[in-house]
Amino acid sequence: MSDEEHQFESKADAGASKTYPQQAGTIRKNGYIVIKNRPCKVVEVSTSKTGKHGHAKCHFVAIDIFNGKKLEDIVPSSHNCDVPHVNRVDYQLIDISEDGFVSLLTDNGNTKDDLRLPSDEALLTQIKDGFGEGKDLVVSVMAAMGEEQICALKDVGPK
Amino acid sequence: MMQQQPHGVAPDLAQLQSTMHAIELACSSIQMHTNSAAAEATLLSLNQSTRPYKLCQFILDNSQVANARFQAASAIRDAAMREWSSLTGDDKKGLIGFCLCYVMQRASSPEGYVQAKVSSVAAQLMKRGWLEFTVAEKETFLHQVNQAIIGIHGIDVQFSGINFLESLVSEFSPSTSSAMGLPREFHEQCRKSLELHYLKTFYCWAKDAAVSVSARISESGTKVPEVKVCTGSLRLMLQILNWEFQPNVTSAKAGINVFSPGVRSDLTASKRSDCNVAQPGAAWRDALISSGHVGWIVSFYAALREKFSTGRYWLDCPVAVSARKLIVQFCSLAGTVFLSGDEHMQQNHLLQLLSGIIHWIDPPDAIAQAIESGRSESEVLDGCRALLAIATVVNPILFDHLLKSIRPFGTLTLLSNLMSEVIKVQMTKRSDDETWSWEARDILLDTWTALLMPVDTSAGNTMLPLDGINAAANLFALIAESELKSASASALDEDDGDDYLQASISSMDERLISYALIGRAAVNVTIPLLTRLFSERVALLHQGRGIMDPTPTLEELYSLLLIIGHILADEPEGETPLIPNSIQSDFADTVETQNHPVVILSVSIIKFAEQSLNPEMRAAVFSPRLMEGKSILDIIVRVSVTTLLSYPGEKNLQALTCFQLLHALVRRRHICSSLVLLDSWRALARAFTNEEALFLLNSVNQRSLAQTLVLSASGIKNSESANQYVRDLMGHATKYLIELSNKSDLKIISQRPDVILPLSCLLERLRGAARASEPRTQRALCEMGFSIMTPVLVLLEVYKNESTVIYMLLKCVVDWVDGQIAYLESRETAAVVEFSIRLLQLYSSHNIGKISISLSSNLISEANTEKYKDLRALLQLLSSFCSKDLVDFSLDSDESQSTNIAQVVYLGMHIVNPLISLELLKYPKLCHDVSSNNFIQKHIDVLASLKLISSFIWQYFALLSHMLEVYPETVGRLDSEAFLHVLGTLDFGLHHQDTEIVNMCLRSLKALAAYHYKETTSGNLGLGSHATPVKDPRGDMQDGVLSRFLRLLLQLLLFEDYSPDLVSPAADALFPLILCEQGLYQKLANELIERQVNPSFKSRLSSAFHMVTNANQLSCNLDRMNYQRFRKNVNAFLVEVRGFLRTV
Repeated sequence: MSDEEHQFESKADAGASKTYPQQAGTIRKNGYIVIKNRPCKVVEVSTSKTGKHGHAKCHFVAIDIFNGKKLEDIVPSSHNCDVPHVNRVDYQLIDISEDGFVSLLTDNGNTKDDLRLPSDEALLTQIKDGFGEGKDLVVSVMAAMGEEQICALKDVGPK
Repeated sequence: MMQQQPHGVAPDLAQLQSTMHAIELACSSIQMHTNSAAAEATLLSLNQSTRPYKLCQFILDNSQVANARFQAASAIRDAAMREWSSLTGDDKKGLIGFCLCYVMQRASSPEGYVQAKVSSVAAQLMKRGWLEFTVAEKETFLHQVNQAIIGIHGIDVQFSGINFLESLVSEFSPSTSSAMGLPREFHEQCRKSLELHYLKTFYCWAKDAAVSVSARISESGTKVPEVKVCTGSLRLMLQILNWEFQPNVTSAKAGINVFSPGVRSDLTASKRSDCNVAQPGAAWRDALISSGHVGWIVSFYAALREKFSTGRYWLDCPVAVSARKLIVQFCSLAGTVFLSGDEHMQQNHLLQLLSGIIHWIDPPDAIAQAIESGRSESEVLDGCRALLAIATVVNPILFDHLLKSIRPFGTLTLLSNLMSEVIKVQMTKRSDDETWSWEARDILLDTWTALLMPVDTSAGNTMLPLDGINAAANLFALIAESELKSASASALDEDDGDDYLQASISSMDERLISYALIGRAAVNVTIPLLTRLFSERVALLHQGRGIMDPTPTLEELYSLLLIIGHILADEPEGETPLIPNSIQSDFADTVETQNHPVVILSVSIIKFAEQSLNPEMRAAVFSPRLMEGKSILDIIVRVSVTTLLSYPGEKNLQALTCFQLLHALVRRRHICSSLVLLDSWRALARAFTNEEALFLLNSVNQRSLAQTLVLSASGIKNSESANQYVRDLMGHATKYLIELSNKSDLKIISQRPDVILPLSCLLERLRGAARASEPRTQRALCEMGFSIMTPVLVLLEVYKNESTVIYMLLKCVVDWVDGQIAYLESRETAAVVEFSIRLLQLYSSHNIGKISISLSSNLISEANTEKYKDLRALLQLLSSFCSKDLVDFSLDSDESQSTNIAQVVYLGMHIVNPLISLELLKYPKLCHDVSSNNFIQKHIDVLASLKLISSFIWQYFALLSHMLEVYPETVGRLDSEAFLHVLGTLDFGLHHQDTEIVNMCLRSLKALAAYHYKETTSGNLGLGSHATPVKDPRGDMQDGVLSRFLRLLLQLLLFEDYSPDLVSPAADALFPLILCEQGLYQKLANELIERQVNPSFKSRLSSAFHMVTNANQLSCNLDRMNYQRFRKNVNAFLVEVRGFLRTV
């Protein structure tokens, strides 16, 4: 990815930036990184050198936070990498529609209806079962680089 | 299948024959791999049958199949070892006699392995009966052997005799003896008996045999059969000289002089090459020294060598190899075998050997050339080993002196020349294969080490004679040249794989230590030499800047720095290195500091390091690897500031700077006090608070840097300014946290990476500072913690989905509480407690019932791991509260305000416990993805998470048992759900595989039951309703908890597997449990007794149960005395009944 893509926008708009540059050496295991234009979570970092008197390079193994695919990258440790802006918001789950969409209650009382249930069977049943049992469920929605997905589920129980 | 031989009845011939055929068939089908299971069963039944001796002897005598004879021999051995005690004396002697005769009569048999086997069976049987046979009986056997060795029955028998003695000696030597199912004392007595009464005789027999055939060999050649006998005898002699002689205790007081001339006490020093010092003692003097025996072996070898000088193969043929090995072993002869007053005796002995050995290694250049053109290297290697052996037994002066009487130079000069030649060979042929020159170099380096390694009892006794010093200097120059050459040649090697690199680094280290010893032996020459080499390389860098590739020169400098570092100081291993003796004493006469060669060298290195401060030079010259050279990093703070600021992303270098260099500086107070006065230190502190680049250090280094800087405050004398220094240092971090937490748009901006990055960096710094708690700066750190409490709670809320930040917040709090708790006043304690409880509640409300959802199993398991880490941190927090009751430095003594720590911790556990499901305590399935292509990495990950989990479990049970032991009364007040949860985990812990965890659970149980018993006997409630039976929801009666654990513990003790270490703690828990629940205990005991069918077991069990509670005047008091008695009773009880209870 070239540097032009993340020029700093005006302050008021800064929150909208999708990625931020960060020195490769500071990105740690469990941090986030953009590889091949996908937002990923780092599961392994190792450093190596090119030749005896060369500079260190970081080798990242990371997992796409949305589709679970594994990606790898090698970056000189003093260079910058893109770090995605990963945002998580909690919503109360109000309804699951038959066409596979969920209905969520936002903080200001509106509903958010544009989010699909996960396609994976196991995850789907986890959510459906919980909802079916009449539990009060809160879902965490993870958003990064223009994509959104449910990433966690919490039973807040009857109050 | 084998028929068993009835006692005493001789089996008839036909039967023997048919069994023999069965065995033969089995042997051949094993060889052909047909039906091998059945064949193996047949052979096994032969080995296990009762008294198979007649049959085996029959097979040995008659079978044509060699393997069958071999099996028969081993069956004799096995059966005899098994049945030894039931055999009559005549049987035993008969068997040994049979084996010996067999070996002698069939000496010329072509199947050598059968002979060797029978011979070793004879030796083993002989040893088995060694202590019961009379001297005369042993003499009879040995006489037969002696007759054979003398040679009257021919060469083959002679060889067999020697062969038998070899087996016998190796049976009696502790390191090579075979197991016989007998205690060590038996082997030890045999060893002693053989050493005292027979070993020397055997040696003389072998010697005589060798001498008797030597003339014939010298005349004819290596093809004659006598060579076999000669080789065997030489081997036997070597084996006997290698015997681990024990100093004779009776004569020790008079005879052994520990400080006898030449014998060195540091023989255990680690060696790359083997060198056993032989110390047979005074009794051997006539056989080894005075008989001229050494002269014979030396001249025998020399004569043969002369005779076969044309044949290249000869040097490697067995007789030559054995003879050389024997000569080398003679070199290592030491101790009272030499007259203790007569120094010349050992000298003459060594000289005699050396005059023979010298031809193997001198002149070095000619020999090296011959080897390079195809001659065998084994002789010169043995020569090197001989030098090593001599160096091990004498001091350097004597070592050097030895050669002077036959050559115009000393032995040290020869050693130096020889090694130089070896190094030259290495330089010309740079190959990766390990050639002879490598091996020779290692042996010779060991020789130098043996000579020069300081003996710690007396300082400075490793002085060399003058020409020895010159020899060392010359050699060192060549070594330096060779190392530089190989460094510059390897500079451009790209892919030295990591594993190989590690191995070569450790061998390099060993080598450097030896080099340093050689270098230090001639410091007057070597230090200036190194200074010159170093400045030459530096000048070369300057000249060539921009023109040529600096890499080879850089690598040379790196290698030089390593060598210099080793010469100037020993590897410190965490301690402050001392100046080596030789450097201190040799330059004693140089008074001016500025002209001291060591100072000149050090200054030139420091100057060079300083040049890294010049940015232009840095860009051109200083690669990260060069800066890693330890000797450079020993120097100044400025360099470290530069490394931290100017090498972004070089983690290894930064870690070195933070951990080794800077952290080492603050370990001593007097260094701290000068440190805080330095401008450069202030510059570092300023950079720490202001410099962007330092925010980019990785977390561990960040923490360590903060810790180091705060620790240096101990060097500030005035307590007020020390606290102010810490405030200034950490102010930026607390300010940032407070400002961030007060931002109105925090929720929106908090998840941006450019906010998370500085936040995590500052949290690591706060954590580092919190770890540097010391009385002097406690005030400032305490304020620091209080000021961030509210921000921490705000951030905990905002980042509830960002596990990495949460973990940093928790750890920061944990480390702060751990460092501060002991100092806090009661009002402060209350505030900290309130804060911690809110923190726990907040964490719990975010996480309880939460499920992570992801497509990637990898990410799911990461999320689980993080959960463990968080919970472990929370438990650590609670544990550090526990310590407040034990260690308290606070000044106020107002009890009324003080917080009840026990209640707080229980409250905390009550909050945390629901998060710790029993599922979490079990090892979860971690290996989801075995198909992963990186299988090993996967396993390492699994191991790492197992380690994490077990440390978490340990933390949990440690806290639990501490709480139950110290505050059992509080547990009684828990509500029943919480109480059952606690006990559920105890139940789980009792079945854990880790003994320590089971032990902690047993201690908890003991505390609980003891508390209940004491309370109830004095009329109180104790555990109250928890201990009484209750109805469960289905209406069944449920035992009270104590009854449940009594059942569980008895079940465990009587029927399950556990470590013997657990018996005592289990008894300690059982005793109060029995006292609490006597009725149930009686019932359980009766049930067990009734279950026994066998009447004798029944009565044994019931009396055992009676003894447990009644023996040793056990009473119903829970005091130390009674616990001890009960432990004894339980031990006796288990010994008595566990065996049949578990099997029946």
